[in-house]
Amino acid sequence: MSHSDTTVERVTTPPLYSRIPGNGGIWVGIFCVLVEFTLLFAVYFIAKVHNPEAFNSGPDKLLTTAGITITLFLLTSGYCMVKAIEAIRRDNKQVTLRWIIAAIVLGFGYPIVKIFEIRWNIANGIDGETGTFYTIYYYLTLNHLVHVGWALLGLFWVAIRTGFGIYSSKDYQGLEAAALFWHTTDVIWLIIFPLFYILR
Amino acid sequence: MIQHSEKIWFLLIGLTLVSTWLAETGHAGWPLTLTVALLIGFKGGMVIDHYMELRFAHARFRRIFFIFLGLTVFMVIFSHGWGDFLRELTTIS
Repeated sequence: MSHSDTTVERVTTPPLYSRIPGNGGIWVGIFCVLVEFTLLFAVYFIAKVHNPEAFNSGPDKLLTTAGITITLFLLTSGYCMVKAIEAIRRDNKQVTLRWIIAAIVLGFGYPIVKIFEIRWNIANGIDGETGTFYTIYYYLTLNHLVHVGWALLGLFWVAIRTGFGIYSSKDYQGLEAAALFWHTTDVIWLIIFPLFYILR
Repeated sequence: MIQHSEKIWFLLIGLTLVSTWLAETGHAGWPLTLTVALLIGFKGGMVIDHYMELRFAHARFRRIFFIFLGLTVFMVIFSHGWGDFLRELTTIS
């Protein structure tokens, strides 16, 4: 084999694990979200070391049940999207749609719990001006809720497209992209939850 | 037979329930800080590798997420152990 043949082979043979999950566009969005939350978490940690007492006692007044319930909703909804991807790989479009709908229904549990949590907070005298801990808690959790809202819209979109039979085992990039964004909100919540409800 | 995705879901739910117990009984200190850091790293890693399947994707995508997760875990530990240093570093005098 000549030197040029070797070069051609090296260029044309894709390396192992070279796949781009979803599509390139969603990764721009995911990267922006990760940068945004890295900065927000930096604010959390800086505020924590400047106000250690507020951050030690802050979680005591929050409704832990709400945080746990949101975690369970998000993890189970994420699981439903894993099953949806598994189903579309088998070309089982009806089952795929059912799993996406289940993910949406469970995902909606988050804003519903959040509304109850905020009402409970306000009834117990916790608002955005109660102290530094609560200001950051509201800012970070509501910001996350906005991202979950976008992700839910994405799930709606792929549910409609799945209903029209657009995705198949050969082409499900859009569905996978929506699932990836949904899981990204999962990962971020798995950090937010212990920072505000557990860590002291 | 329980499939892989179910096992991961059970594990994540189980660890969340451990968090519940920690939230109710935990007192500020190194044991709580290290447990929280471990839970964030492990649960986040499970979602990244098994829900998102990034262990089968191009390494760069997985790396981005693990840098994000690693930074957070580092800051949980650093802000607890070296809080005074971080406070000095971020004080405008």
